[in-house]
Amino acid sequence: MRQSNKLSSIPESYYKRRRWAKAAWVYSALLLIATITLGTFLIAFMASLKDNALSEPTNFNFAQVRPSNWVSSMQLGLGGNQAPFFGGFSPGAELTFSVTYAVTNDQTFSIPVIKIPRRRPGTGMAATLTTDFAADYALVSEPKIIERNDNVSYIFKRGIKNESKQGKSVTWQFSIRYLGDGPVIDTVPLDITTPREQVLINSSLDPSRFERRGRVASWVNVSPGVIGYVFRSYVRVWNESVSLETGKSMFLSWTYNSFIIALAKVLLTVFIACSAGYALARMNFSGVRSIFLLMIFSMTIPGQVTFISNYEIFNKLGLLNTPWAVITMLVASGQVLIMKQFFEKFPKELEEAALVDGASPIAILWHVFLPLAKPALASIIILGFQGAWNDFFWPMVVLTSPADIYTLPVGLLSLRNAYGVAGDWSLILAGSFLTTIPVLIVFIIFQKHFTGNNIGTAVKG
Amino acid sequence: MSMKTLQRNFYGWLLVLPFVITLVVFFVFALIRTVKYSFTDYDLFSEANFVGINNYINLLTDELFLRATINTISFSLVVTIIQTMLALGLAVLLNSRIKAKSFFRTAFYVPSILSSASVTLIFIWIYQKNGFLNGFISQLSELSSYFVLGLFSLAVVQLVQIAHQRFIGLPTKFFDPLLALISMITTIIVIIIVSKLGLLETTTVKVAVNWLGSRDDFGPMPVTLWAITIQNIYTTVPTIMLLFLAGLQTIPHDLYEAADIDGANKWQQLFHITIPQLAPVTFVVITLGIIGTLQMFDQVALLGTSSPLESRITLAYYVYYQAFSDSGTPNIGASSAAALILGIITLCIVFLQNKFGVKEKS
Repeated sequence: MRQSNKLSSIPESYYKRRRWAKAAWVYSALLLIATITLGTFLIAFMASLKDNALSEPTNFNFAQVRPSNWVSSMQLGLGGNQAPFFGGFSPGAELTFSVTYAVTNDQTFSIPVIKIPRRRPGTGMAATLTTDFAADYALVSEPKIIERNDNVSYIFKRGIKNESKQGKSVTWQFSIRYLGDGPVIDTVPLDITTPREQVLINSSLDPSRFERRGRVASWVNVSPGVIGYVFRSYVRVWNESVSLETGKSMFLSWTYNSFIIALAKVLLTVFIACSAGYALARMNFSGVRSIFLLMIFSMTIPGQVTFISNYEIFNKLGLLNTPWAVITMLVASGQVLIMKQFFEKFPKELEEAALVDGASPIAILWHVFLPLAKPALASIIILGFQGAWNDFFWPMVVLTSPADIYTLPVGLLSLRNAYGVAGDWSLILAGSFLTTIPVLIVFIIFQKHFTGNNIGTAVKG
Repeated sequence: MSMKTLQRNFYGWLLVLPFVITLVVFFVFALIRTVKYSFTDYDLFSEANFVGINNYINLLTDELFLRATINTISFSLVVTIIQTMLALGLAVLLNSRIKAKSFFRTAFYVPSILSSASVTLIFIWIYQKNGFLNGFISQLSELSSYFVLGLFSLAVVQLVQIAHQRFIGLPTKFFDPLLALISMITTIIVIIIVSKLGLLETTTVKVAVNWLGSRDDFGPMPVTLWAITIQNIYTTVPTIMLLFLAGLQTIPHDLYEAADIDGANKWQQLFHITIPQLAPVTFVVITLGIIGTLQMFDQVALLGTSSPLESRITLAYYVYYQAFSDSGTPNIGASSAAALILGIITLCIVFLQNKFGVKEKS
């Protein structure tokens, strides 16, 4: 009796609170999924900023994200080449650099040995480039002591363990000058060697890495400029992928090729899809059925089944290794289908009036149907651009040499082959993100068409 | 034939001609040539000799080809099934009455706009032996004692609350959303307090799974292909989700209202209204999924020599590998035969799915 009384008197607020809680769970789930989709790119992007994308993969507090390094890289870029953003080392330059070392109270300091090594910047493709070495033009001054501190605590690394220590520190300052006249040099690497017990606790710019069990602090470039420092891998992708014949940045050529090919393909696709889609949908001519079946059949057959014959055709025409081989190899079955299904939805009266007036089917398509087909056109343009931009298999088959002729995805493959062995993942990731930018821009501009319902309804028919 | 029919045929063929030309040259002619080459020892340079069905016999005894076939079919089935279910779930979740729908839709869609080459490279980085995934798993396993504590606390707090509610006579279910939320928040607070006080020991764990380079199998396919499976699902789910979303919006509301009146709960509505009504979309999604995954190539090429060939090879890559492998002369005969087998497998699976799987009309 008491039980049923209670049940019948459950207040509305009981259900209301539960609805709120349910919404909270739904939003948490959505946020979690958004974290996975966006977070993957965020961590990869952060890693692309690191000197070595594989070092401490889950640590995202590294030198390139610290504002103190942004300021000093800017100052060093100014000192080296009057270039706060991209840095460099030019005649008349003078870089001032300071390093602070600490030892325990019972130890003595030894003067650090400063050296500008003759080291090739980067790996992979950069190894084949001829470069001027900063070592041939730079003069390093004697380090002089500018500050002493008798009471510092610091961390001494032993293997993967960190030991806290108490001791004293000394700050040395030295300058790197460009002697005489000569070329502008991109990078000024720096190695500073000290005994193992003497620990580097501060420096103008955080070192890129430690070598020989912590004895050598090594900088890849002490005159980077702020962009050259934070986005080093991106600058490297651009600079190091240089064509040996023309000396132009291949990344630029790849981007250009990808754009031209994607645009041309989209134009061709729109032309073919509109005319064929219209004919198949609205004109009951003899042969419609067989063309339609052939079209569906062609959509199920993988591109690998037909590629050898197509390769031979372009080989015979002498069009291999030209953009034409990629642009004209186009069977737009999917897009024709989208347009056909879209055109089928309109009532018959739409063209009948025009037919009575004696308009030709081409005029009807142009004046009556195309203006109505904007949503379907938007989806085939976007899908077409995206498809052409990302196309990998066929460009890889027909674009083989010289490397200037690649599209971006094929270029990425060559970057991966050139740098993957050396484990230079910062650069490969940077390349991946650079290729992404144009599609990202297209996406932001046409966002509604991407995620709106046009594509869905158009495909679904 | 009347003048009108003649005119219609003329314009019809005129308009469809550009498409038919590409279709005939790049598809029909190419297909015929592939069939022809598959019976020869053609190598692109010298004259082709007829060799009968030798290429096919050789394929059936080539271990790499058999491996590629098994890999391809397993990969295709696993990816298609998982991605369809995930995308459907996401679409239903996103279709609930929520604010900021367009933000979530955009955020979920991002993986689909990037080229498979970029995404594959990003994932190869994630999967490196000393890469992010292993690092992340290591960190999680270092915190495993906290997970145990969390689960324990969740269960206890939830049980206490349910007991209380039942005691005062409310018909609260075990997975009541409000109580679960309270339990979750309590658990988070407990974990924060425990970690601040340092009451639980954490161990140092170093996970170093060889995701890409191993020769091991897991279930129907190599570990490497499982890694690629995750990447592939990640990139294709958003597109499929959009197709489902569009489909969901065409389902008439009265169906749900009627079900509400009949007292059907949300799960019953999902299985008896939503899923049957979505059958046409599901048919398209599954068919496109099968066709797309059977030709998986990009990822295999981008993995390159960092993984053993047999742990990553698919039929599409086998076809390319026979024709343009770095060493040796192009083996167009074998390549064409393998390509045709790939085509036939595709047709068969699409046919079987059409016959026994999800049908276009429910």
